[in-house]
Amino acid sequence: MKAKSMIKILALTYGLIGILPIFVSDSSIMMRILTMILIWSVVASCWDLIMGYAGIFSFGQVAFYVIGAYSSAILSVSWNVPPIIAVFMAGIITAIIGVLVGLPCLKLAGPYIALVTFAFQLALEPFLKGPLGKAIGSGGSRGIISVPPIEIFGYSFSSSELVPFFYLAFIMTLICSAIIVVILKSHWGTAFLALKDSEDFAASLGVSAFKYKLLVFGITSFITGLFGALYVHYVGILSTRMLSMEVFTVLLIMIVVGGIGQYPGVVLGAMVTVTMNELLRPMGIYRLLIMGGMVVVVVLLLPDGVTGLIRKFTAPKFRRKTGAGSLR
Amino acid sequence: MLKAINITKKFGALAAVDDLSFEVEAGQVFGIAGPNGAGKSTLYNLITGFYKYEGKIEFDGKDITGLPTHKIARLGISRTFQIPHIFESLTVEESVNLGCRFGNSGKYDPGYSDEMISFASLTQERGNKTDLLNLLGKKRLMIASALATKPKILMVDEPMAGLNAIEIQQMTQLIKKINQDLNITVVIIEHFMKVLTELANPILVIQNGSEICTGTPEQITCNSEVIECYLGDSHDA
Repeated sequence: MKAKSMIKILALTYGLIGILPIFVSDSSIMMRILTMILIWSVVASCWDLIMGYAGIFSFGQVAFYVIGAYSSAILSVSWNVPPIIAVFMAGIITAIIGVLVGLPCLKLAGPYIALVTFAFQLALEPFLKGPLGKAIGSGGSRGIISVPPIEIFGYSFSSSELVPFFYLAFIMTLICSAIIVVILKSHWGTAFLALKDSEDFAASLGVSAFKYKLLVFGITSFITGLFGALYVHYVGILSTRMLSMEVFTVLLIMIVVGGIGQYPGVVLGAMVTVTMNELLRPMGIYRLLIMGGMVVVVVLLLPDGVTGLIRKFTAPKFRRKTGAGSLR
Repeated sequence: MLKAINITKKFGALAAVDDLSFEVEAGQVFGIAGPNGAGKSTLYNLITGFYKYEGKIEFDGKDITGLPTHKIARLGISRTFQIPHIFESLTVEESVNLGCRFGNSGKYDPGYSDEMISFASLTQERGNKTDLLNLLGKKRLMIASALATKPKILMVDEPMAGLNAIEIQQMTQLIKKINQDLNITVVIIEHFMKVLTELANPILVIQNGSEICTGTPEQITCNSEVIECYLGDSHDA
C-alpha cells in the first residue's frame, strides 16, 4: 500500500476514534473500549511489522508487552522512578530483551522461530512467579498492586480519569503509528520485505540479514514494551494473567482480521476485534468460540483481511501478466 | 580480479567442490560448465559467502574468505540465481532500488537505478509488482537489481534455463551488453553449450567438484574428457 493511502486510512480511523470521546465520555465502558483499541492497535501493528513485513514468525509479542508492563511497574514501585520515565525505560529494557531473543532466531527459519519465541513467553510466567522474579520485585503469584499512574507536570493520568488518559494514549498511538509508517516506507521497510521474500537474494544485493532482523526485533519490542508500560500505569495492577492464551489469541485475531502484512489493516482489525470482544462478553465461554469462528470465516473468505476487501473494491479490475519488452 | 585457490567444500563425505583453483581476469566473460551436480552452483555459493569452505578466495587482491554475503556484495561481486529469486512484495522499481541502496557501499543513486531498469528493458514494468513478470522478465529483474549494486563482477547462474529460442537470443544480447557496454566482468554458468561458447572465453569445465579443463571454446569442445563427461564413454554403449 502506498504511503498516501496508509496515511489516509490511519487519519480516518484515528480521527474517528479521536472525536468519539466528545460523544461517549460519560460512558466508562465506551471509554475503556476506545482506550484498549488504541493500545492493542499499536501492539498488534508491531506484531504485524515483525511477522507480516519482516516475515519473522515471532510469537513472543505478548511476552514483550508483559515485560514492558513489569519493567515499568517494578521501576516505579520498587525503585521510585517517576512513571513517565519508567515507561520509556521499560521500552528500552524490552528492546534489549527483544534483541537478545532475536539473536538465536537469526539462525532459524519460520516455524522454529515461532517455537523459540513462544517458549520464551511460556518461560516468562514461571520466571515472574518464581524466586528470581520475586527478587527483582515481580510480586510472585500475587503480582504488583498499586502501580502509580503517570504524572505529567503534576497532572495524574489514571483509570479514574478516563478521558485524559485516552488522549495520552491517543498521542502516543499517533506518534508510534507515524514511526511505523516511516519505517515501512523507508529503505528499512523495503529491506524487511526483501528479507521476507528472498533472504538469499537480498543478501546478494548487500542487505545485512543480521542487522535488519535484529533491528525489527528491537523496534517492535521497544514500542510493544512502551505500550505494555502505558497499560500498567492505566490499570494500576499487574499479574501474570496478562500472559494468558486469551490475550495471545485475541491479538492474533486482530492481525488476521486486519490482514497479515497489510498495514494499516491491523488497526481496523484491532477496532473490530476489541469491540466484538467487549460486545460478546455477556456470552461467557462462548465468546472465544464465536471469535474463533470469525477467524475461520475471515481466513477462508478474506485471506488478506478487511484490507483485502477494501482493495478488492478499489483496485483496477484487470491485471495483465507482463513480460519485459524487447531488448533495445 | 577473482582468484580461487584450492577451495574445497564437503557436505558430509561428499566433496561438492574439490581442491578447485581458477582465476577470472578483469573484462572477461568467464564460463563455467559441467554436468548436473558437478558443483557449479555450490561454487557460486562459496564465492558469494553462503557457505564456509577450505581454501582461499581473493577479489581485487583482497582476501574475501569467510566474509558474509552482504559484505561481498558491497565489495563488488553480485549474482543471480538459477531459479529466479524475486521480491514478490516489491515493485520492479523498488527491487532495483534495493540493489542501488544496499550495494555500492550504501551510496544511493536513483538515477543509476533508473538506468539499470532501462538497460534491462523493464521501463514499462517499473511500477508493476514483480510477480506479474514472466520468466524472462524475472531473470532480467534479477540482473537489473544485481547491476544496480554497481558490481565489478556479475555472476549469472544458468540465465537461459527455461527460455525459448527468441528469449535466449535476447538474454545473450543482454549479457554481451553488460560486458561490453558497462565494462563489467561476467561469470556465467550455463548448460546450453552453444550459448556458452558464443559468450564466454575462457570456459572452466568441472565434474564432481574438480576441474576437467579450462580453455577457449574451441579447446573445451574438442577435449575428450569434456565430451566424455557430457556424452558418456563411447565404450559404454
